[in-house]
Amino acid sequence: MPLGRLGLETGEVVLAACRFDLDASLNFTDGWIVLTDRRLLADLPASADGEEHSTAETLRAWPLDALTQLDVRLRTGVGRIELSQDHRVIARWLFTPARAKAIHSLEDVFDQRLHGQSTIALGTPGNSTHNDSPKKPVEQNNPTPIVSAKSSDDDEPSFSKDSSEASWRALGRLVTFARPHAAVAVLGGVLSLAGTAAALVPPYLTMPLVDQVLIPRQAGQPVPFERVWWYLAGLGIAALAAWLLSWAQSWTLAWVGERVAADLRVRTYSHMQSLSLDFFSGKRTGDLMSRVGSDTDRINTFLSVHLIEFSSNVMLVLLTAGVLTAISPTLAIVTLAPFPLVVWLVYAVRERLRRGFARSSVAWADMTSALADTIPGIRVVKAFAQESREIDRFRATNDRVLEANDRVNVVWAFFGPLVSLFSEVGLLVVWAAGAWLVFSGSVTVGALTAFLAYISRFYGRVESMIRMVPATQRAAASAQRIFEILDCTPTVAEVPHPLNPGRVKGRIEIAGVHFRYGPREILHGIDLTVEPGEMIGLVGTSGSGKTTLANLVCRFYDPSSGSISVDGIDLKQLSIPEYRRNLGCVLQEPFLFFGTVAENIAYGRPDASRAQIVSAARAAGAHEFILALPAAYDSRVGERGGSLSGGERQRLSIARALLVDPAILVLDEATSSVDAETEAIIQSAIDRLVAGRTTIAIAHRLSTLRRADRLVVLDAGRIIEIGTHDELLAANGAYARLYNAQTKAAEQAAAGA
Amino acid sequence: MELPTKIEPETTDLPTTLQWRLERKSHGRLDCVDARGQRHADVDVLRAFPISAPNDAVALIAADGSELVWIETLTVIDPAVRAMLEAELASREFLPVIRSIESVSDGEPTEWHVITDRGATRFKVAHADDILCQSDSGAFITDTFGVRYRIPNAMDLDPDSRRRFEKSL
Repeated sequence: MPLGRLGLETGEVVLAACRFDLDASLNFTDGWIVLTDRRLLADLPASADGEEHSTAETLRAWPLDALTQLDVRLRTGVGRIELSQDHRVIARWLFTPARAKAIHSLEDVFDQRLHGQSTIALGTPGNSTHNDSPKKPVEQNNPTPIVSAKSSDDDEPSFSKDSSEASWRALGRLVTFARPHAAVAVLGGVLSLAGTAAALVPPYLTMPLVDQVLIPRQAGQPVPFERVWWYLAGLGIAALAAWLLSWAQSWTLAWVGERVAADLRVRTYSHMQSLSLDFFSGKRTGDLMSRVGSDTDRINTFLSVHLIEFSSNVMLVLLTAGVLTAISPTLAIVTLAPFPLVVWLVYAVRERLRRGFARSSVAWADMTSALADTIPGIRVVKAFAQESREIDRFRATNDRVLEANDRVNVVWAFFGPLVSLFSEVGLLVVWAAGAWLVFSGSVTVGALTAFLAYISRFYGRVESMIRMVPATQRAAASAQRIFEILDCTPTVAEVPHPLNPGRVKGRIEIAGVHFRYGPREILHGIDLTVEPGEMIGLVGTSGSGKTTLANLVCRFYDPSSGSISVDGIDLKQLSIPEYRRNLGCVLQEPFLFFGTVAENIAYGRPDASRAQIVSAARAAGAHEFILALPAAYDSRVGERGGSLSGGERQRLSIARALLVDPAILVLDEATSSVDAETEAIIQSAIDRLVAGRTTIAIAHRLSTLRRADRLVVLDAGRIIEIGTHDELLAANGAYARLYNAQTKAAEQAAAGA
Repeated sequence: MELPTKIEPETTDLPTTLQWRLERKSHGRLDCVDARGQRHADVDVLRAFPISAPNDAVALIAADGSELVWIETLTVIDPAVRAMLEAELASREFLPVIRSIESVSDGEPTEWHVITDRGATRFKVAHADDILCQSDSGAFITDTFGVRYRIPNAMDLDPDSRRRFEKSL
């Protein structure tokens, strides 16, 4: 939107801008809402007063004063912005969730303006001016505008333009992975050229063999038989050379292909590890596994088998064409005439095949996903006796793979023999034209023989080139799927020159933190300061935002607005791994990796000595049960902890957290998956863990939080109470209600037992 | 970086020097008299790291499962006690050494027919993960019942046994 249209007054600064995209009758439209430090400017809203507006380029302005209020609501797919004054709605705009992010940011800025907290997000990097807003504040010398949205990428999803082009580009990008092995690749290319040239020699030798030896001999001229030997030797040597060269070429290029695929796998996996948590929450494990596994393997096959074949075929076709023209231009033209037709056919069928293979790749990933879903969840499947349903589900995904492959095969089965037909016809044409030319005396029988030898090779190569079309398309589709991962950027990104916090003291300041996940706002302005060594208990019903807040402190996500700082430094300024070295997490479902007990305890500190591991296990109350395992600390535990009970696994994860000696500790429902007796054991381990560390503990069971210095009660993303257990009980508010309900339930359980 | 002392308070009241005594009773039972003079009958001797560090970290465990004594390393204690502990460990530890592998079936679980230093035996191995290879080409094999077998050095096996072993990995 041109800035001029806004008609800004001098000194007026644009603070935020967003677009709405629906009119009053829910038809798509496009309009701007712009917030400046003085006014709210907007295109004509959806009628709030029943009056119908035309889509004229009219802009209305409302001066900001304390009486105006902006209310944004998003329900059932349609969002509503209401501007009201003196509790009376004066304007209303409607929007789809696609616009929600920018609109919510504008709302935040509006509220900050109105409530005078004008500088909360000031100057933090990443808070650059909004992308689809008028680019810059009008007056540069004014204070930095408070625009808290980071980017508008989510507002307008980019739709890929041409998928076919994209897949070719993806194949092209593979070249960057071959660059480190360029020397070997070039060697492979040279070998391939030499090998192809050597393969062209034998037919060329048949020409003089026929014309100068066999035909004169047949015509009764004396020709010494040694000359036959010479030609035969030449043919043999050429064949041998071609074989050796193509052997060396295959090996070299396969070597490069393997390495490119291996690099690609590691790059994809390490890139995946660098991505933020929200990437993984939006992806299915099976899909990611199939991308790293089978897609890279397809690329490998393509690079190490098909690409070699393809390049040598192209060379052979070109060289053959050259040789044929040199022998007899007329015959060459006749011979090569059908070739453009073949090229056109390949082109026509290619796109069909690519789409088919892309579909087949997706179907395959779905099938892997079905496996990755149900195998870890096998207990649930069996408990609900849903085996047959899962089998049906798997069969359905498998059928989709079958169907996708069938479609490709139909195209392919038709196309393959068609090319054979072309080569037969081509041969016929050469015979016909050749016979005519021999009759007219313009070519010799030897030249015709050579032509026939060349042409069968020529069409053989064309056929094999065409056979590679599906492989190429398959590889292109795979490459695209891999680059999709490589092109994801972590949403929680480090600043260019992050600070290394070293060992933090653990003072956490949470200031005006809002957090949105998609269109939903989960935290609405949290302000909380946690002193070093203090234990905070987060209390609240499910969905009140406890875990979200803990995730923000871990910097698994960044707040949508507001800031979290540790020891006075904004988390966004810190190096993520260095900061997380100060963190310890004990989660509800402790995850144990495949390995020994000792390795699992030392996960966060692989260099820990045995004595340190043992003392951490002791402090976590895990030592004695570990000694009772078959191989004590050397016992292997599986993916999910194998034979260990929930409480035992939890104690291992506490030992893991103890060993890293974190300054900040996050306990997310650490005891809620175990019974009360086990909880008592774990509790003493936790008490030892908590001592001297800044702790944020989340628990449904309020008894877990008895050692907390302060309890923070959250409700629907807001802090509603803060205080000690006794204070909150005395206040007789939400906490008291929760506590009483729990004690009552416990008493009833005790009475019932 | 050293761990803060606060997480190792227990180590102080578990004596590592000889404030405790071991007594051999009938039927090979061991009694332990701890630093406070209290007697614990029929104690267990366990290695904490039986695979990665068999000679470090030995624990004496009372019949109820609680830990009585923690020995950081066997090399520093009184030789007589050490001999007693090692004899005890040797009598309790069943870790047959595989001398040759007669056959290994295909598929999972694999069925092994081996000749060990304790005689010939058959056992099943649930998964290739239960075969733990070490850097010195030694290996531990855990069967479906949790019995462990040891191959000190796979290179020392006869060629047929070695081929069968490598195939199973």
